[in-house]
Amino acid sequence: MTALRDLQAAFAAHLAGEDDGGLAGAIAGDSIPAVARLQVHHNHVRTSLASALAATFPTVQALVGEDFFKAMARAFVAASLPAQPVLAEYGEGFPCFVAAWAPARDLPYLADVARLDWALNAAWLAPEEGRLSAVQLAGLPAGRLPLLRLALSPGTTRLASAHPVDRIWAASQPDAPEGEVALDGGVRLVVLRQGDDAAFVQLEAGEAAFLDAVAEGLTLEAAAGRAAREQGDFDLSSGFARLLGLGCFAALQH
Amino acid sequence: MEAVAGIGLRGPHLAEIARDRPATGFLEIHAENHLGRSPAVQAVERLREHYPLSVHAVGLSLGSADGIDAGHLSRVAAAVRRLQPALVSEHLAWSRFGGRYFNDLLPLPYTEEALAVVAANVDRVQQALGRRLSIENPACYLGFRHSTLSEPEFLAELVRRTGCGLLLDLNNVVVTAHNLRLDPRRWLDLPAEAITQFHLAGHAVNDADGETILIDDHGSRVRGGVWTLFDEAVARFGPRPTLVEWDTDLPPLAVLLDEARTAQQHLSAGAARDRAA
Repeated sequence: MTALRDLQAAFAAHLAGEDDGGLAGAIAGDSIPAVARLQVHHNHVRTSLASALAATFPTVQALVGEDFFKAMARAFVAASLPAQPVLAEYGEGFPCFVAAWAPARDLPYLADVARLDWALNAAWLAPEEGRLSAVQLAGLPAGRLPLLRLALSPGTTRLASAHPVDRIWAASQPDAPEGEVALDGGVRLVVLRQGDDAAFVQLEAGEAAFLDAVAEGLTLEAAAGRAAREQGDFDLSSGFARLLGLGCFAALQH
Repeated sequence: MEAVAGIGLRGPHLAEIARDRPATGFLEIHAENHLGRSPAVQAVERLREHYPLSVHAVGLSLGSADGIDAGHLSRVAAAVRRLQPALVSEHLAWSRFGGRYFNDLLPLPYTEEALAVVAANVDRVQQALGRRLSIENPACYLGFRHSTLSEPEFLAELVRRTGCGLLLDLNNVVVTAHNLRLDPRRWLDLPAEAITQFHLAGHAVNDADGETILIDDHGSRVRGGVWTLFDEAVARFGPRPTLVEWDTDLPPLAVLLDEARTAQQHLSAGAARDRAA
């Protein structure tokens, strides 16, 4: 194992909890045994990545408490190490992991709260510029609009939940007043960067359907049809203007 | 850049620094936290008008036998172009293998083979950045039986082969020397002209099977032995920009600034001794 590649393969296996092929034998031992020395790195990988997840999923941690979160995060880390070094971009698979994690099954809304935290994180990291404006849109010939296909702006995410994750989120903030949160009723949200913050906004059924259709690559005309089927009284011009004003759409590429 | 003391800029202190702009020599940021376009990154970019910046990378994995991750390197290079820092640094360590990133500064065997790998990776990073990179000595918890060079010998040879600078972290020297039973003064044999910065930080004292092991946790004030070695390093190499790092159990900003002022006093006393000599 003296070749660097073999040594790093064994060390990586050790950190991932796999068979390390006797890595300890390559380490100079003395009164502190090699396994105790390796433990420093093993611990650091687990704790530092669990802390990174706590920073990205603060609402989940606020709901379950530090100890529960740490156990859940460490289990995720063991199953799913990052592929790259930007910790703010680590944890995309965490909401799915939470959904399937048996100790959290009494909290059916927890995975959706994790999705909301992840979407807020993505919105926070996204650039503010590059959004479609009413001015840019007005520059297009009116006849082009029905067949136009738009993209969502960077960091904009649609989130639908059968649970009131917006109320749960608000009640979990450090400055939230004490009180019970009614856990009935779902929400349709769009999560996006708003000025110097990441935010979520509640959508009507038609607006949500319109945005989903645009995200799928449908034309504005087809998206409008989808929205009208979803919500009989959907007002296309005011709904579209609202989504445009929020900055949901990416600027047109010339 | 002047040989002044600065602080690590961490998220919880950002708003206060942007508002009050306290006096300190420079601000250090981690490259990996500044690759996106978040409001926090934009706030740091605005601070560039008021403070010199030092960009400290933690994820390039210079010791990877796999080579450098090209995608990550290009993002770091873009951030360096945007931020135009006075200093850019990374560690003598590896953190990535087989597509997995471990978020730890993992130790290298100090062999000719590892030297060739690190030198090739440092060359690649310096080319991508278009500037000199300073390499930091790591905090070590273990050594490899097949190492043939000491860490200072390895670093000195790396400088000779790549023209890189050296970032001498005195806390890491104290931690490594204690954990591996080495003499911390061996790091004072490094080539003086290559030293571009000093780092100072606190460390934890842990128990490992009845023996003490020092952990580089950046979670407290700088300890006495580190200040002593810092004075010796300033006497040996001359004053250099000096960072006080604090990453865990972050204190109020005032405490961090106070620690940097202490570092400044040590630097100034060293410079005064130089002039008197």
